[in-house]
Amino acid sequence: MTDATAASTPPEREHVSILTEDDRTRRRNAAEGRFKIYGLIAIGIAVLALIFLLTSVVSKGAGAFYQTYITLDIELLAEKLDKNGNRDVDEMKKVSTFGYAPLIKTAMQKIVTDNGIEIEGLAKPETLISKEAAAQMRNFVLANPDVVGETMTFEVLASGRVDGYYKGRVTMASAERDKNISPEQLQLADAMMEAGVLETRFNWNFIFWPDASENRPEAAGLGVAIIGSFYMMIVVLVLALPTGVAASIYLEEFAPKNWFTDLVEVNISNLAAVPSIVFGILGLAIFINFAGLPQSAPIVGGLVLTLMTLPTIIIATRASLKSVPPSIREAALGVGASKMQTVFHHVLPLAAPGILTGTIIGLAQALGETAPLLLIGMVAFVREFPAGPPEGFFDPAAALPVQVYNWTQRADPAFVERASGAIIVLLIFLVIMNAIAIILRRRFERRW
Amino acid sequence: MNDMRIIPQDVEMADVKISARDVQVYYADNHAIKDVNVDIKDKTVTAFIGPSGCGKSTFLRCLNRMNDTIDICRVEGDIAIDGEDIYDRRVDPVQLRAKVGMVFQKPNPFPKSIYDNVAYGPRIHGLAHSKAELDEIVEKSLRRGALWDEAKDRLNEPGTGLSGGQQQRLCIARAVATEPEVLLMDEPCSALDPIATSQVEELIDELRENFSVVIVTHSMQQAARVSQRTAFFHLGNLVEYGETGQIFTNPEDPRTESYISGRIG
Repeated sequence: MTDATAASTPPEREHVSILTEDDRTRRRNAAEGRFKIYGLIAIGIAVLALIFLLTSVVSKGAGAFYQTYITLDIELLAEKLDKNGNRDVDEMKKVSTFGYAPLIKTAMQKIVTDNGIEIEGLAKPETLISKEAAAQMRNFVLANPDVVGETMTFEVLASGRVDGYYKGRVTMASAERDKNISPEQLQLADAMMEAGVLETRFNWNFIFWPDASENRPEAAGLGVAIIGSFYMMIVVLVLALPTGVAASIYLEEFAPKNWFTDLVEVNISNLAAVPSIVFGILGLAIFINFAGLPQSAPIVGGLVLTLMTLPTIIIATRASLKSVPPSIREAALGVGASKMQTVFHHVLPLAAPGILTGTIIGLAQALGETAPLLLIGMVAFVREFPAGPPEGFFDPAAALPVQVYNWTQRADPAFVERASGAIIVLLIFLVIMNAIAIILRRRFERRW
Repeated sequence: MNDMRIIPQDVEMADVKISARDVQVYYADNHAIKDVNVDIKDKTVTAFIGPSGCGKSTFLRCLNRMNDTIDICRVEGDIAIDGEDIYDRRVDPVQLRAKVGMVFQKPNPFPKSIYDNVAYGPRIHGLAHSKAELDEIVEKSLRRGALWDEAKDRLNEPGTGLSGGQQQRLCIARAVATEPEVLLMDEPCSALDPIATSQVEELIDELRENFSVVIVTHSMQQAARVSQRTAFFHLGNLVEYGETGQIFTNPEDPRTESYISGRIG
């Protein structure tokens, strides 16, 4: 029929060369070109922002991984540390860190005279040493009471100001106005560096030591925060993954479609959009005030973050269950598999990469979450390491993002560096988690 | 006299594998299958033909209660296999499906090895008690699926790596591995090229020795080639059912004739 009409009225079309673009084609190509440029601009802005963020964080935070140390030969005078001379640890505990300060002072003066350092107007050379040094020494002596009376070599932290001098944060000019350090003391530091008793090197203590107080930023570390975050991630993984996957499987594969399941579904989607601080209040009300769990404990943090992560995991799991082709279910049912066998033998393994990705994204989200943890007391200043699991879950601990928040609140500029350093650690953990997600996904996909 | 009446009845019962009486299927308010009565014989290939949407696949899926998985689908009437009502409350569809295997339109091997594809059914039904027995079942099924020679050296490779025709034969091997009594095939060749189609058709003819095969097909030539009996569906009604030769050469109903000669459908 169509052929017949076409033949009877041959279309009168003028010849158009395909060697030149006509107007319409030119406009379409121009539109396409513009669209590509918009895309490139958007990507460019995103990449620039990322580069800016990373360089800013890394340039500020890299310093936290380096620390200035001073090597001190300290004479552990028996008359100062153990007046009764019986090396009884309980009695030696009565000597506080103040008792160790004169020893440090003597050792510093000895360095000055031994190396022939002469600086006009130099006062209190012991200011160069961190206040942490006395505590470090006391702990050592109490652990090894037999060393009293001997001369021991200690590597102690330099004070935050001296450390800042070598990181460019403190200058001779700023030291003029600083009551914590003087230009002469900085000259002494330079002389000591020449003499080889002062050096800057990699700072493992930043990762392994606990937080330190306001006036000794040089000793502050992430140890407790890392363990706290790690414990919380364990709690979240153990609670949220099985519950979330089980809930999704039930909702997706078994639940009858009625108003009740619809209601549950809508509520799960809504939960994913609830501000995290609301979960914090919920955790405070239920886990701490009602259930009586301890404050600042990783178990409570983990429970709150579990509540937050569940919707993410459920939504991701349901999406990946839905994406398994129905032909696989039919195939399994067709050979006489029960519903449960179909789900567990065929659907779940195929959905596993998606579930894993969702779970790890949820975990990463939980790892970086700060607001709800503030409400349940994870913001407290914790210097004691929590015990090993499982008791450690109930001990007070900090968390990485809260530690960042904490340090940005402190006055000493040395904490800016610490906060950025903590952000670097947090980002490294996130990158590792995402890498694990990708590796696991690849491996699963290869198997199937 | 009594004896004489009983004997022919027995013969009739043994001959009929599936009998459907007054079957109605509804999808929500849509009446998809209307008053279908059909007796499917044992060790015979029965073809269901008809235009798209006439309900032939729907009816096929009633035979192993695959429609149970669709929430809005409702089946009425009686369907009996060997005289046992499959919609009886006591029937577990899982058990039924082990007895009534199914091959689907699109080849759908599990994303597992060829061996595991075939071994899955016997495993979940506990048909093999040792690895050796399972190996034997897999080999036998792959031979029945006319795939053994091509697949015997690559049993551990994924079934999804086979060609379309090989995949469909794998699906047939998987379906026969559980030793079903009836094999349902829902347009098994529609996704295959002519060579693969002819291989599968040959296979269907061989399967007739051991199974009662019911095949839904769009292709009348295929129905004519592989089946002994043919049922013609139109708009949810079973219009005509009889010997394939008779349906194609001398149909009783004018609608069958129109469809076969290409005027409807």
